[in-house]
Amino acid sequence: MFELLFKYPASLFSKGQFVFLAGWPLWALGVCLAVAAIALAYPFWREHRAHTDTLSGVRSAGLWLLQTLLVTVLLFILWHPALSVATLRPQQNIVAVVVDDSKSMAFQESGGTRKDQVLQALNSGVLKNLEKKFQVRLYRAGAALERIEKPEQLTASAPSTNLGENLKQVAGEASSLPVGAVVLLSDGSDNSGGIDLATINEIRRQRIPVHTVGFGREKLAKDIEISGADLPARTLADSRVSAILTFHQNGYSGRKARISVKDGAKTLATQEVTLKGDGVEQTESLAFNAGTAGARNVQVSVDTQDGEENLLNNVVNRLISVEGGKPRVLYIEGEPRWEFKFIRRAIELDRSLLLSTMLRTTQNKIYRQGGAANENVDGFPAKVEELFGYQGLVIGSVEANYFTVSQQELIRQFVDRRGGGVLFLGGRFALSEGGVGKSPLADLVPTILPEKKDTFHRDPANVELTGAGRDSLLCRIEDNPDRNVERWKKLPYLANFQEPGTPKPGAVVLAEMSPGGRGKMPLLVTQNYGRGRSALFASAGSWRWQMTQPLGDTSHEMFWQQMLRWLVSGTYGHVVASTTKSVFSDEKKIHLRAEVRDKAYLPSTDVRVEARIMGPSGTAESVELRPEPTSEGVYVADWTAEKPGSYVVEVLAKRGEEESGRDVITFRREDGVAENFHVQQNRELLEKLSSQTGGKYYEPSQIGKLSDEISYSEAGITSRETRDLWDMPILFLFALMLRSSEWLLRRKWGVV
Amino acid sequence: MPMRLRVTLAAVIVTLFMWSALFAFQRGRRGGFREYEEELVTPADAGEKTEWAFARLKYPSPRYWNWTTDYPKADRQFVQGVRRLTRLHTRSVEQVVDVDSDEIYNWPWIYAVEVGRWDLTDPQCERVRDYLLRGGFLMVDDFHGTQEWAGFMASMSRIFPDRPIVELENNNQIFHVLYDLDERFQIPGTAALYSGQTYEKDGVIPRWRAIMDDKGRVMVAICHNMDLGDAWEHADNPRYPEKATSLAYRIAINYIIYSMSH
Repeated sequence: MFELLFKYPASLFSKGQFVFLAGWPLWALGVCLAVAAIALAYPFWREHRAHTDTLSGVRSAGLWLLQTLLVTVLLFILWHPALSVATLRPQQNIVAVVVDDSKSMAFQESGGTRKDQVLQALNSGVLKNLEKKFQVRLYRAGAALERIEKPEQLTASAPSTNLGENLKQVAGEASSLPVGAVVLLSDGSDNSGGIDLATINEIRRQRIPVHTVGFGREKLAKDIEISGADLPARTLADSRVSAILTFHQNGYSGRKARISVKDGAKTLATQEVTLKGDGVEQTESLAFNAGTAGARNVQVSVDTQDGEENLLNNVVNRLISVEGGKPRVLYIEGEPRWEFKFIRRAIELDRSLLLSTMLRTTQNKIYRQGGAANENVDGFPAKVEELFGYQGLVIGSVEANYFTVSQQELIRQFVDRRGGGVLFLGGRFALSEGGVGKSPLADLVPTILPEKKDTFHRDPANVELTGAGRDSLLCRIEDNPDRNVERWKKLPYLANFQEPGTPKPGAVVLAEMSPGGRGKMPLLVTQNYGRGRSALFASAGSWRWQMTQPLGDTSHEMFWQQMLRWLVSGTYGHVVASTTKSVFSDEKKIHLRAEVRDKAYLPSTDVRVEARIMGPSGTAESVELRPEPTSEGVYVADWTAEKPGSYVVEVLAKRGEEESGRDVITFRREDGVAENFHVQQNRELLEKLSSQTGGKYYEPSQIGKLSDEISYSEAGITSRETRDLWDMPILFLFALMLRSSEWLLRRKWGVV
Repeated sequence: MPMRLRVTLAAVIVTLFMWSALFAFQRGRRGGFREYEEELVTPADAGEKTEWAFARLKYPSPRYWNWTTDYPKADRQFVQGVRRLTRLHTRSVEQVVDVDSDEIYNWPWIYAVEVGRWDLTDPQCERVRDYLLRGGFLMVDDFHGTQEWAGFMASMSRIFPDRPIVELENNNQIFHVLYDLDERFQIPGTAALYSGQTYEKDGVIPRWRAIMDDKGRVMVAICHNMDLGDAWEHADNPRYPEKATSLAYRIAINYIIYSMSH
């Protein structure tokens, strides 16, 4: 319709430049318009005077306006309007036709696969029409771009799609070849993380329009697809691990489905869920035991349903490094109390933690348990190497001034620099009662403590989880999140509580308590601090969860084990190695990073860092990491993982012959799996790509227009052409409409 | 009956009634029976809420009052020592806990005296077993000789039919958690002391025994052939040997600290 009225397609107007070809100056057009308007005004004024009864002033002005507009149209035509547009010179330019040849193009649509649809479209005359005007180069796109001679060479078997990389290669060729336009035929299901801005900018710099033709349905009628599965990259042996599974579905709303976490054939956790509405992202969590030390490849899945169109997007693999080391936690308690006993008992049952305790039994006596014979014989650690040997610290009912000023600073550094975790418990000498709020330790407490005394009360307080606590694994004493919330509500009341003050910005309240008549107040609060973390449990009365619940109830043990595991989670050694991801889908390039710290946990800049990589089929290789100039103590290396499979990387730092530390990480490389996901057409990506590069998005049915519209481009070898606009049908229609309107109005008003 | 005799009789009855009422009031004050007639002044801080209190187990026995032996003076004199010698937040008065009540679960350390005469029912045995396995600690004291041991075991063997009674060795942490108590001796009751010997009945040798949990921790600390209660009670008695009182305090304090740390 647009083309019928305006003579040319809309894209031409968007690319062309409007000009007048008459050669007369524009100001003359303005003068002519003004003269005509004045000249036309006089007869209308006379006519109005003659027929004042039928032709009012307003009606006269209306008729004058219609005639003036008509004169304007005629003058506009006289000035010879035209569009100046850059046009690709015939047979001197190359048009790159890039066809997505990934596995997703083999997905079945009505009337064949997407690849079949592409072949049909190209062979229906599009290629021939393009070849009449341009030199056409045909490419197939997968992980890399490859030139082919004819469409029949397409196989729809490439294990991945990397549109960004493919377009970058086309842009590279355009720097030496006259590439006038790119035509991309794809379903848009890129699985390399999208097209980066640098690639888009490079294409825009070369002014190459990318025209996209989208294939495939934009929504599958019946399908469940996993969007993501979040699991910790590393955890302690026997830890409780949470798999956060995100998925969506179409066609199965309200139906029951089973989600599972498996290690090979062994089911680690499973749960039945009710599927939400079509297209709605649904998040569920499954808690399971990490088991013994070692690399664990787990499969997170949603069971397939009857009639599902894609059965390959219901399961994802994730790799977890289960660490065998036992983190050490120091617990200092300022007075004998039941909380101390029962926390000790709970942690004794945890094979993955080593708990050393110091209990002030009298004013000058400390009873030590759990550690080595000579551990802390002189009292609380006063040296870096003593305190930094622990990963976690629990401070019970201890006055702030029990610690020397340097010990208080050491505790702060333990969290900030060492990356350790510290937990403050409520008590008779704790927090505000012990002057913690006015000491350097106040920074570590995740609340702003009350500036008063008498904050510790031996009165009962009921507990319940907050929204954040519901989602936190720290508070998970029951696998099912809803049942977990209910179980917390049913926990026996705490024997006592301490007023915790208000949570600091950035702190997270996981559980609240309700002492009678005092409203709710935070019970369990956590925060990140420096490289570490801190928490507050504003009570010393959780021992009642053990003593007043039936024998065999594990609420108390589970909570405290998870609390202390949280405390030490992320507290690493002198070397912390990492890769950008734990699973590399269709990517070979691995970026290794190691953060190296010395004995005092200050960045090490004088060490030699080497990674020993053990891959599938027993392959082994050593890679030296180089210092990152911008980050002190950080060493990096790029390495190519040639084979798919699981890799174990041991990173070792040495100063001379002395070992500074080591760390072991794992990652997994897999090919072709990502193509099973997001198989529906990503129209948004294709439209965005074409609009950002000056191209246009086409549906397969519109592909016939391509050969004509593609000519207008500023890339390649072009010539400037003008297209007349004076003979656009819209102008004549407009003129006719103006004249007809005047005639009709005169008839109506009786002034013909 | 002459009028004067009837008036006298009525006065005697009224006096007896009032005396009984007063007696009953005193008896019910802390749920127990006072062994001594001397009036103990209730401390001003008796109502203080503390971490620990001297919990005394009230149990059934053929003679109702066995559980009240030395009560409450021993309890109150002992807690003064606990307050002075440790950082434990301690209440000045004792807490009587009925073995028939679930209140027992709120007192993870509990003391039972003259257990040679206790006679627990099956539900009571079950409650005590449950209490101990959840983490409670029971200290038993003041029973002597073979016959009273048999009386003790009659109920204890129903609490734990399958757990042996073991002798506590000197290297057990319960004797070192605060005080090193390698050198222990028999702590006599006053009755035995006045008779010129430290033992009662055929309980010549003091026995430091225990029942352990699955982790080897003491659950039941058994002080057989000794009377720590008397030693606390007569701490202010010039005729009672200070040495015995001192040891009795140290042993019980160790037991408390042990129960709060293991």
